[in-house]
Amino acid sequence: MKVKTALKRSLLVGSFVSGSIMLSACGEPETTGIAPKLYTDSLFAVMNADRANYTKLVVKRLGPAGANVVKPDEHWEDLPNGTLLPAQMFRAGAEAVAEVTDEFTYSLQSIWPINSQNAPKTPIEKAGLEYIAENPGENFYGEEELGGTTYFTAVYPDVAVSDACTTCHNDHKDSPKTDFKLGEIMGGVVIRVPLGSS
Amino acid sequence: MANQLMRISWLKKALAPSFLVVMSISVLTACTSEEQKLIERGEVIYTGTCKVCHAQAINGAPILGNKKMWSKRTGQGIDVLVQHASEGYGLMPAKGGNTDLTSDDLRAAISFMLSKLEE
Repeated sequence: MKVKTALKRSLLVGSFVSGSIMLSACGEPETTGIAPKLYTDSLFAVMNADRANYTKLVVKRLGPAGANVVKPDEHWEDLPNGTLLPAQMFRAGAEAVAEVTDEFTYSLQSIWPINSQNAPKTPIEKAGLEYIAENPGENFYGEEELGGTTYFTAVYPDVAVSDACTTCHNDHKDSPKTDFKLGEIMGGVVIRVPLGSS
Repeated sequence: MANQLMRISWLKKALAPSFLVVMSISVLTACTSEEQKLIERGEVIYTGTCKVCHAQAINGAPILGNKKMWSKRTGQGIDVLVQHASEGYGLMPAKGGNTDLTSDDLRAAISFMLSKLEE
């Protein structure tokens, strides 16, 4: 008698639990996973750290300001000891990642690009680059739909951190802006991650 | 007469602690007020010049309020931090690239940034 009652109870509880699990599986949105903002902020932290380290440990340490064994130059490929400028190294990373995955993309863009390929292409990119230029130190976050997929797009500031940055851009024949000052926003890092099909 | 003197002496004794408390509060308030003014001035300078890098760790600049990043710097004392900011340090350009800033401006901005570690 007691065994039958216990069995009934177990079956009832089991049915209730499995029913709840099935219901939640049908109706509840999936809540696991990293938030898009935290994801792009984390990616930017890695990119930013790598870029700072390249600038400090290679360009500054081994370049003309240090041991003078390498020459950071826009046309680095033409020089026997040429090495990439920090911005070029950053772009090289973006291109290498694009060969590996479409899960996220990143690029260095500007509303004053030396190379027109680096100008914003979507309204969100343009809005983001304008926002960070007008609000130094702030990031921009937005969503956009491209080809039926919704993307989370984040834009982070790219700052003129040395005289080399301002001199190169201000003196460049293709630069649409020639009065950059140290500490000014020159462009932005655009990171785009898909949120799912819409 | 003797009674009057006694009363005055008693009054002095009674009021002395109160006087000291009032004076201490005044001095403390003045100090806090001066410090507060310095921090408020520093916030303006931070927003105008420093934020562009110190909000994002651009070139390794310690992020405002990030205790982990600041832990190696705070022990050096504000005078050293002002000197580094003034002359440039690591990848940071002198005065953050804003040559108009004085040492007092830099001290104010650094005081503001240090105050954010106490929150």
